[in-house]
Amino acid sequence: MIFRTPLEGIEHPEMEADVVIVGGGPAGMSCALRLSQLIDEHNAAHPDSALSKENIYVLEKGREIGMHSLSGALLDPRSMNELLPGWENEAPIESPVTSDSLYYMTRTAAFKAPITPPPMQDHGNYVISLNRFTKWLGGKVEEAGITVFSGFAGSELLYDGDRVAGVRTDDKGVDKNNQPKGNFEPGYDLKSKVTVLAEGPRGSLTKQLIARFDLLKDRNPQTFGVGVKELWELPEGRIKPGQVIYTMGWPLTTAEYGGAWIYGGKDNTVSLGFVTGLDYPDPRTDPQHVLQSFKQHPMVAKLLEGGKLVRYGAKTMPYGGWWSLPPLGGDGWMIVGDSAGFLNSQRLKGVHLAIKSGMLAAETAFAALIGGDSSAKALGEFQKKVDSSWIKQELYPVRNFHQGFEHGFLAGMLNTGLLMATGGHGLMNRYAGHPGHTRMLQLWDIMGHGGNREALTGPAKGDGKLTFDKLTDLYHSGTRHEEDQPAHLVVMDTDLCVTRCTKEYGNPCQFFCPANVYEMAEVEGGGKRLHLNPSNCVHCKTCDIMDPYQIINWVPPEGGGGPNYDGM
Amino acid sequence: MKILVCMKQVPQKDAPLKLNEQATWVREDVGYEVNEPDAYALEAALQLKEKNGGEVVVISAGPARAQQVLREALAKGADRAIHLEDDRFVTLDAFNIARSFAEAIKDESFDLVFTGLQSDDYGYAQTGVLLAELLGWAHATIIMQIEPKDGGIRVKRELESGFFQYVEMPLPSVLTIQSGINKLRYATLIGIKQAKNKPLRKVTYDEVAAALKPNQLTIEKLYVPVKTKQTEVITGAPGEVAKKLVAKLRDELRVL
Repeated sequence: MIFRTPLEGIEHPEMEADVVIVGGGPAGMSCALRLSQLIDEHNAAHPDSALSKENIYVLEKGREIGMHSLSGALLDPRSMNELLPGWENEAPIESPVTSDSLYYMTRTAAFKAPITPPPMQDHGNYVISLNRFTKWLGGKVEEAGITVFSGFAGSELLYDGDRVAGVRTDDKGVDKNNQPKGNFEPGYDLKSKVTVLAEGPRGSLTKQLIARFDLLKDRNPQTFGVGVKELWELPEGRIKPGQVIYTMGWPLTTAEYGGAWIYGGKDNTVSLGFVTGLDYPDPRTDPQHVLQSFKQHPMVAKLLEGGKLVRYGAKTMPYGGWWSLPPLGGDGWMIVGDSAGFLNSQRLKGVHLAIKSGMLAAETAFAALIGGDSSAKALGEFQKKVDSSWIKQELYPVRNFHQGFEHGFLAGMLNTGLLMATGGHGLMNRYAGHPGHTRMLQLWDIMGHGGNREALTGPAKGDGKLTFDKLTDLYHSGTRHEEDQPAHLVVMDTDLCVTRCTKEYGNPCQFFCPANVYEMAEVEGGGKRLHLNPSNCVHCKTCDIMDPYQIINWVPPEGGGGPNYDGM
Repeated sequence: MKILVCMKQVPQKDAPLKLNEQATWVREDVGYEVNEPDAYALEAALQLKEKNGGEVVVISAGPARAQQVLREALAKGADRAIHLEDDRFVTLDAFNIARSFAEAIKDESFDLVFTGLQSDDYGYAQTGVLLAELLGWAHATIIMQIEPKDGGIRVKRELESGFFQYVEMPLPSVLTIQSGINKLRYATLIGIKQAKNKPLRKVTYDEVAAALKPNQLTIEKLYVPVKTKQTEVITGAPGEVAKKLVAKLRDELRVL
């Protein structure tokens, strides 16, 4: 198997840039739009020292803007009200939230909470399709005169000593053996004064940056969940637009963290999905299976009966909260949105924080352009802006929320009560956290934890109507890649898969990947070896996060490839 | 050589299609992309230009969103674009699209017009041929290779079951290009930037309306096929099965 690695001896064309934003999601697009607003204001006030937007770029690996954007999603309008007052009159909105409820599920029953806990009350929020929302926001950015390069991934950071000096885009036209094809186009070196990483959860450049400067050394490690989502079309009148349902419990046991969402959209569509915490103990846990089991619960099955699956997808989300945020700005760089970890796991919302973080980064970048200074000191201002904004006011009180669940569901609920009573302090100001993959137990140890996990382990079978096997679901993700290219799931030691992993963990990659990228194939003459289907990849990053040996490195495939989350 | 490439924006192949309210076409809110055969037509034109010099112009008819296809073509190296911009172009049949194009280029002098072999959505495979008729030019379909020869061109056509035909043609001509005949190039960052400043001429519906005639082809209704297949297994000894089968064919299905 040949993996994607940088080609040697290739000349890369260079382009000068003022600001390069890597990733065209809500954080990146808000950053671009806010920056454009500030430049417009400046140019109106100082026509003699006008700034150009000519050299501000957004890189987006999706073929088109929004194609890789997946979320529930509920949008808290706070940051959009600041960015574009009146936005709700023109943005694609599914529905304002009309009702919310929380259920605790057992295998056959559902118990409705008498009142929805305050953090999960959603009056005033909007049900949106993040795909449509991002497409719209991206359109605004382009109208404002900022160039969005869609179909281009950031593949490497460029350094000048310890300064981030820009981004190299992906090489195009590289074959399966990592050799240039006839239509080869080398990646560009975008030499940038300011680089903003807005890559979403577990960004590949963000990962390089964090490793190079050991940015998480005095922080809690980031923890993640993977949300597996299906979009359905239901018979008329089955669910109201804006109806919001959260569930906890089955099919998860008290050993796993997670829960489901069901959001009513317009035109009889429903967004439903299940978030499984990527800190589960049983290596056979399969998040796609978890969603299939959830749909078989009588309450959910009744809702979906006679409906039709329209789209499927999966994406990770960072749960770690305030203590897991890396330093936000340094010499030539800033990190925004999910790449940094701006998500409120108690409210299950991050889009509004991503947007706000992008806006604050834009203000910092603008000051850097005006002052001609993008040093660590100048871009470190971003951290101060976040600290004095409502982002901190929102995230700091829930700073110990997720850590409480490391010892199971009941401990987590107790801790949540304690935190709410103490302003988030609990037993100590900062609870420690552990990387999720370290909590995975070896097969030998999980045997002692009893059975009753059929609903969440191993591959789902699917009846073709209510439930689906992984490949059927995957077909509905619209995923497409250039086939003739090296594998972008860079497995650093494929021997280990059979020498250790099969025995110790039973190759959990086969289960945690929601897109059937990883298979253990029979080898002639007995035994098995790892077989990859990189073209299936939906870019969720679960493998990079949950692999117990941390030997899988997700790098971007040729730009333009990936899922097509139309309407998700 | 001055080459015009006709390009169309079509619904994405993997987009979940929903019918519009009149059930005459798909709803507007799907994702769109360039018609795949047209991408090969563009590549063939760009390669000819690189070898022999000249100009490549791209043309498309459709709503504002169709400009995306033209921008991509400009980013890959086309020199300028013509956009017949109006929602109404979507409702025209192939003959009227050809009439619109003929009208829009009446002041130009092209040596060659390329189209993709057919569109991924309607699949008529007519626009190019009808355009040739309207212009009074020669045409050839399903083209795999084009080389200049003695002031004209020599082309390779794909026939069925592995057979090919080589034809010498005069200029100007219209060619409809087969998919997969070349390796599509990638747009580069600098190409995308430069495309912003390349000329894009807009043509309104009114400018070509006089040339149009009533559609000869309209879509009455689209529907999703309903699965109605039923399988019945007849069991028994071979002789009995044969008798039962004959009885069914004669009495129930009345095909004998």
